[in-house]
Amino acid sequence: MRHGVARFVTGFLALPVALYLFYVVWPFAQAAGYSLTDWGGYSDSQRFVGLDNYVRLFSDELIRKAFWHNVFFLVTVPLFTIGLALLLAFLLNVGGREDRAGIRGVFGSGLYKVIFFFPQVLSLVVVAVMWQQIYRSDEQGLINGLLIKIGLVDAANPIAFTADPEPFLGIPAVLWWLLLIAVWSGAGFYMVLFSAAMQSIPKDIYEAAILDGAGRFHTFFKVTLPLLRDTISVAWVYLGFIALDMYALVFVMTPSQGGPNHASEIFASVLNFTAFQKGQFGYACAMGVALAIFTILLAALQLRITRRDRIEY
Amino acid sequence: MSTATHRLDRADKAATGPAPAPVRRQERHRGGVGSRIFNGFSHVFLVVWALMVIYPLLWVVMSSFKDDAEVIREPLSLIPDKLHWENFGRAWTEGHLGAFFLNTVLVLVGSVTLTMLLGSMAAYALARFSFRGNRLIYYMFLSGLTLPIYLAAVPLFKGVYNTGVSFPLLGPNKHLMLILVYVAWSLSFTIFFMHSFFRTLPDSIAEAAQVDGASHTRAFFSVMLPMAKPGLISIGIFNVLGQWNQWYLPTLLMQSVAGEPKHQVIAQGLIELSVNQGYKSDWSGLFAGVTMAMLPVLIVYIVFQRQVQSGLTAGVGK
Amino acid sequence: MSVTPEKSDLSRRILLQRAGAAGLLAIPAAGLLSACAGSEPSKSDGGGAAKSNDNPFGVEDGSAVKVVVFNGGLGDQWAKEDAVVFNAKHPKVTVNMSSTQKIKTEEQPKMATQPSDLVMNSGADMMDRSTLINEGAIEPLDDLLTAPAWDGAGTVADSLLPGTVGDGTQNGKFYVVNVAYTVWGNWYNAALFKKEGWTAPTTWDEFFALAPKIKAKGMAPYVHDAIHGYYPRWGLFASIWKAVGKQAVIDIDNLKDGAWKVDGVVAALQPWEKLVKDKLLLPGKLNHTQSQQAWLDGKAAFIQVGTWLKNEMAATIPPGFELTLSDYWSNSGDKAAKDVFAGSGEGFVVPSKAPNKAAAKEFLRAILSKEGSEKFAELTKSLASTKGSGDKVQDSALASANALMKNASSDLISVKFPDFYADLDKESQNLSEELMAGRLTAQQFVDKMQAAADKVAKDSSIKKQTRTA
Repeated sequence: MRHGVARFVTGFLALPVALYLFYVVWPFAQAAGYSLTDWGGYSDSQRFVGLDNYVRLFSDELIRKAFWHNVFFLVTVPLFTIGLALLLAFLLNVGGREDRAGIRGVFGSGLYKVIFFFPQVLSLVVVAVMWQQIYRSDEQGLINGLLIKIGLVDAANPIAFTADPEPFLGIPAVLWWLLLIAVWSGAGFYMVLFSAAMQSIPKDIYEAAILDGAGRFHTFFKVTLPLLRDTISVAWVYLGFIALDMYALVFVMTPSQGGPNHASEIFASVLNFTAFQKGQFGYACAMGVALAIFTILLAALQLRITRRDRIEY
Repeated sequence: MSTATHRLDRADKAATGPAPAPVRRQERHRGGVGSRIFNGFSHVFLVVWALMVIYPLLWVVMSSFKDDAEVIREPLSLIPDKLHWENFGRAWTEGHLGAFFLNTVLVLVGSVTLTMLLGSMAAYALARFSFRGNRLIYYMFLSGLTLPIYLAAVPLFKGVYNTGVSFPLLGPNKHLMLILVYVAWSLSFTIFFMHSFFRTLPDSIAEAAQVDGASHTRAFFSVMLPMAKPGLISIGIFNVLGQWNQWYLPTLLMQSVAGEPKHQVIAQGLIELSVNQGYKSDWSGLFAGVTMAMLPVLIVYIVFQRQVQSGLTAGVGK
Repeated sequence: MSVTPEKSDLSRRILLQRAGAAGLLAIPAAGLLSACAGSEPSKSDGGGAAKSNDNPFGVEDGSAVKVVVFNGGLGDQWAKEDAVVFNAKHPKVTVNMSSTQKIKTEEQPKMATQPSDLVMNSGADMMDRSTLINEGAIEPLDDLLTAPAWDGAGTVADSLLPGTVGDGTQNGKFYVVNVAYTVWGNWYNAALFKKEGWTAPTTWDEFFALAPKIKAKGMAPYVHDAIHGYYPRWGLFASIWKAVGKQAVIDIDNLKDGAWKVDGVVAALQPWEKLVKDKLLLPGKLNHTQSQQAWLDGKAAFIQVGTWLKNEMAATIPPGFELTLSDYWSNSGDKAAKDVFAGSGEGFVVPSKAPNKAAAKEFLRAILSKEGSEKFAELTKSLASTKGSGDKVQDSALASANALMKNASSDLISVKFPDFYADLDKESQNLSEELMAGRLTAQQFVDKMQAAADKVAKDSSIKKQTRTA
């Protein structure tokens, strides 16, 4: 029996592990190796510099700035996406009228669910092209155009969106505008997820709550939300990974890829600039390794926090 | 703990629309003005968000029918003066969207199938059997979620190039190579979620299958895998979307030499159009290309939305 | 027409370097992976055949050469014509040409493995020149300069516009073959100015006097790309050079202590600060094509950009619009008011590991030929870096650039540090954007530039370069 298990496990793992080792681990292992050198990325020549690159990381102001921007996204992207998704799911499922049959989902909720999911199926390129026009900073932009037309925005002083580094709540405006795109893309997906999870909560739980005289808000916060905790924590982990990879949006949507004047710089944008623009591939690899370590720690923490007793029903 | 199939049933119901949430008749006094205001608020909020989603999409589609002059003059209007179908022709030929579309589908069929198969095999072995190195392998896969892909660019290209010298089918600009690379890069995510999914499946069923004399392999394919179907569907959807939207790997690995057949995928075609636009200002062609890339996916989604939604719930629900 | 500037060099981000409106990271096009289709990389440089005046590098019949063209504002048709020119002399050599806008994304990962033979390193997504040279990734091409010209008398070097060799030289060796010649300045619509009875200003004072009249017509006096910082930077450096003189910019390029604090630098930049403060800029943060289109649509009177403008916007230039280039404005008392911002750009490089370097150099000889460069000027409405390329082209925009060059003094404005130091390049772009967004004064801009320059000067991990002229 033991022998059978070993053979079975080997058989099942051999191919995936081999593929993964070859196409993922090995390239990264090489990159980690480069982090100990001064390699420029264009040639075969490199010099071993030990941990110099890592020491440099700690005195790099740009990296420090980028790190905090990453943290901003790490907190806000899951928070706002999940918050909005829950709100939408709540409205869809219990936002309707109350009648003899009880509180209804809102009229047309099936249609809403289809529509809200749309952004999820769009490729980054499509999203980018669209939002560049939406955020365009003169009267030809979708938002500026509308607001100027109805007189809310002065044509001589349009909203600059991702070209605006001025702080809002202490955070550069450009980051908030990027956040909006991320939330816009993700909310529908998680709404569908939560919505379905809500509906799979057994009715008798609700009935008990209602019998206790709870209103729909009360029911939502005291009953629904706790029962969705597992779903939410899975969503949180996944959104966390997305938040760490905001690079594509930063690259496409901001001036000078991380601008204006470094206001939207994140780890990945500094890393790319260092590797491919400055030609300090070794140093960039050190940044990558540091980022990976940070993420692993975070993921471990997240898993620890969420590994609490689940509510059975 | 309910079984997966049970959950799928409920999810199906959930997806069909507003299942009446249970509130007793005696609570009717709550259903007065307050309820109506709340209902009104719900509608307003939902309509606003729906518009925020729909309007840009509609606007892209409608802009793709305008000519350049109109795009510039009346960027905000939703109704073109005249339907300029030739924009689509331009996007189709200059962006090679037709061929790229087919390439993408071809690659995805292979890569998603293989990702799901290999991913769930590995996840199953890791989730349900204890052996030396189990944790090590699991964390090795998990750490893949954390690594910035750009770093791997140079070594990855080198590896693929060198492989291509001895195995031409696995070299750059080959579909099979891209499939394998996609699979490798999707394994982390797939295993991460399938792993937790397999852990929730009750032991009793696998044990029952064992008693019946089925081998581990057979138990997996004929009992566990079918039970994991909801999870497979939802993670499969994630993978389809993720790989459909992938642009960095194909850009790195799927460049074609002049004279070679073009094997590029749709994201590359779009990027080409989009960057071209920066140099030639062919706005309408860009919109047409975006529309062509967007509509099929939207239609596929609308057709399969029920399955998508139920699969999602069942998979990640618990 | 003839343009014979004395010295010239260009910022490396010459023509058309911008990340397209979408700024997307990468573009597929037909980028090429040399020899990636399974063929064994050749160990030699492909120059096995007998060398002669008609074949100075010994290109072998039956070999192939992979050429990657940057398909930006100049398009790639001219390069296809060069392939025809090349094949007329070498019918048995296969030219595999592909074009892309994402040079770095596609070519950089291949440089250490199996690069293309000839790469046009240009655009927003280009490989850092200093890094390429420091890493030994590209080949010195001094033997190209001494080779006989393709279809004229003398050597290749003799046929080039002055400055072209200097532009491509670093550490005493010639690495980069710039094939285009660009002039920068303020563009306006001559037809409109005639209709309104306006005279194109030559000094800042004249501009500030004209500005209210332009505004009265519901038009913004000035616009530029506000997304890519190197667009406004051209104007800022033109002003510094004109006001304080060539040596000031050379000192800045050489990271000389206190180079930014020299008398006159702040004053040179103050007109730009005033331009912003007086709200003479078109509102909105537009990118290059958006701002150029706004200018073509009559929303702004002047735009600063280079001579590729006409080709880039060809599709949407309204009928009757007369694109006319004028020099950057100066102030009375400027030390070098007549110096024009111009030079060669669009550089080709030959990777050191290229399998067929001989054919790559031979292809460059074809590009720089009389026949090839005339095709270039005809197709792109821009000058090639070969002498006399534009003599036969009838084009008003080109003519205005040519007229500007004829009046120019012998020194051409150029800035080198963006080529030398990627950090300082990015900082100066960022700070130029900030200055033009009104978030910095000229004084603050200068202070921050000095600090950024000092930081690079002190950073031992950055290899230092020197500009002599």
